[in-house]
Amino acid sequence: MSAWQVAAILFPLFMVLVVLRVPVAISLGLACIPVFLLEERLTPFLLMNEMFKSYNAFLLLAVPFFLLAANIMNAAGITDRLVQLSRSMVGHLPGGLGHVNVIVSMLFAGISGSSTADAAGIGSLLIPQMKKQGYSTSFSVAITACSSVMGVVIPPSILMVVWGGLMSVSIGGLFLAGVVPGILIAGSQMVAVYVFAKIYDYPMYPRSSLKEFLLALVHAVPPLMTPLIIVGGIVAGFFTPTEASVVAVLYSVVLGGVFYRTIGFHNIPSILFNSAKFAAMSLFCIGTASAFGWILAYFKIPLAVIEFLEPFGVGPTSTGLIVAGSFLLIGMFIDAIPAIIILGTVLWPLAEVSQMHPIHFAIIGVISLAFGLVTPPYGLCLLIACKIGNIEVKDALRDVAIVLMPMLVVLMIVILFPELILALPRLLMAKFI
Amino acid sequence: MKKLLDGYYAFLKIALTILMGVLIVPVTMQIFARYVDFIPRYIWTEELARFCFIWIILVGAMIALRNNEHFTVDLLPAPKTNRGKAISRMFVDLMAFIMAMIFVVWGWPLVKFGLLQTSEMAELPMVFIYMAWPLTGITWILFLAERLVDHIKLYRSDAA
Repeated sequence: MSAWQVAAILFPLFMVLVVLRVPVAISLGLACIPVFLLEERLTPFLLMNEMFKSYNAFLLLAVPFFLLAANIMNAAGITDRLVQLSRSMVGHLPGGLGHVNVIVSMLFAGISGSSTADAAGIGSLLIPQMKKQGYSTSFSVAITACSSVMGVVIPPSILMVVWGGLMSVSIGGLFLAGVVPGILIAGSQMVAVYVFAKIYDYPMYPRSSLKEFLLALVHAVPPLMTPLIIVGGIVAGFFTPTEASVVAVLYSVVLGGVFYRTIGFHNIPSILFNSAKFAAMSLFCIGTASAFGWILAYFKIPLAVIEFLEPFGVGPTSTGLIVAGSFLLIGMFIDAIPAIIILGTVLWPLAEVSQMHPIHFAIIGVISLAFGLVTPPYGLCLLIACKIGNIEVKDALRDVAIVLMPMLVVLMIVILFPELILALPRLLMAKFI
Repeated sequence: MKKLLDGYYAFLKIALTILMGVLIVPVTMQIFARYVDFIPRYIWTEELARFCFIWIILVGAMIALRNNEHFTVDLLPAPKTNRGKAISRMFVDLMAFIMAMIFVVWGWPLVKFGLLQTSEMAELPMVFIYMAWPLTGITWILFLAERLVDHIKLYRSDAA
C-alpha cells in the first residue's frame, strides 16, 4: 500500500469514530486495525507490541509522578499560600483577583507539570471567590482555564518530558526554554484582565504593605523551592527527569505531611488512586497513538508530507507557522500527548529540513498544544473550569477567545524570534544545545 | 452478577492504589543509592518500576471503561430520544468490544511468547506483564456486558 492509501484509511476512520463519541484511545487503536489486516507483512499483534514498547519507557514514569506531586500539593493547601502571595503582589491592580489568578497559575506551573491539576486546584479556590466579588462567571472560568495552560509551558512540564523522550531533545534544555514564553503568556493574560477590569469595572484590593508582602513570601517559600530543586537538579545533572518527578513527590509529601501537617494517612490513598487513574487514562492513549504513529512512519507518510510541502518553500518561519497551525488544530480534538506522538512524527522531518532548532520546534509545539487545553470540543482545562463554575462550555467561549488573543501574539513572537527562547538554555546548558 | 462485578471493580481500585504507592519505592531507591553508600545499587529497580507502570496503565484503563471516563470528543449534538441515546451508546460499546476482542485474540500469542521469555535484569517471567493485555480485554468484555442490559432497557423504554 502507498503512503496516501494508508493515510486515506487511517485519518478518516479515526475521525469518524471520534465524532461518533468513541473514546479517543480506542479510535486510534481501531483505525490501525484495517491497515494491519490489509497489508500482508503486518498483523494486529503489532498493536500490542507497540503499546508494550511505549509503556515500557522509564521516562514516562514522570507523568504519573508529576501529577501525583501536583495533587499532593493541592491537597496540602499550598495553593492557598500562593494565593496570599499573589494577592500581596498584584491584588491592587484593577481586576485584582483576575491578576491573582494569573500569577498563582504561573507560580503553580513551576511546581506542577500538569495544567489539569492547576485548573482544578486554583479553580475550586478562586472561581467561587471571583463570583462573590462580582466578576462574571464566564470571565472567572475563562481566566482560570487559560492561565492554567502555563502548567505545561513553565517547567517542569509533562509535555516537555514526553517530547524530549520521543525526539531525543535535552529535557533540561526544553525546561529552560519554557521559562521566557511562560512569563510572556502570564504578561499577555494580565493585559487581558486589565482590559476586562476597565470595561466591566471589576474591583481591586487595597495595596499591600511591604511587610505583608514579605510575610506572604516567607509562607510561600517552601513550595516555591520546588521548581529550583527540580529544574536545578536536572540541569546540574543530579538526577534524571523521571527521578526529578519522584523528588517532587517526596518533597510535596514532606511539605504536606511534616511541614504544614495538612495531609495524612487518611487522604493519601484517594490522592494515589486519583492520580494513578488520571495518568493511566492519558497514558493508555499514548499506547494506541504509538501504534498509529508507527504506521505513519512505516509507510513513510512524513516524507510524503515533506514532498508535498517542499514546492511551497519551507523556511524556518513558514515551517514554524505550519507546525503551530497543525498543533493548534489537532489540539482541539485530541489530548496533547497523543498529539505529540502522531504529529510530532509527521512534522519532525519537516523541521529538520527547514533547519529549525529542535528546541524551538518543541516549544512552538508545546505552546500550540497548550491552547488545545482550552479550545473546544476537547479542552480538558476548560471542561474542568466550567464544571467548577457550573456553566456550559459554550457560555464561556467568548471570554476564552478574548483571553486567547494576546496569547496568540506571544505564540507569533516565539515563532519569529527563536533567539528569545534559546538564550536561557544556551547560557546555562551550553554543552547540550 | 452485579455484586460480583462490584467486588472485582473494588479489587481493581485497591490494586491501582497499591501499585501507585509501590511505584515510588524503586525510583526513590535508585536516587538515594547513588548518593548514600549503605543503600545497595540494585539494577532491577528500573525494571520493577516499568512493570508496575504497565500494570497501572492497564488497570487504570479497565477502571476508566466501567466509569465511562475514557476521553471522548463532544462534537455531535446529543441524541434527543432515549432510543437514539441507546443506539449511540451501543455503537460506542461495540467499538470498545472489538478493541477488547483484539486484546484477547492477538494478545494471546503475546502471552505464549511471554512464557518462554524472562526479563533482562530481574529475570521475571515476562508472562506476568504480557498477561495484562488479554486481562484488559476480558475485563472490558465483562463490564460491557453488564452495561448492555441497561442500554437495551433504555432502548425499549421508547418503544411504546
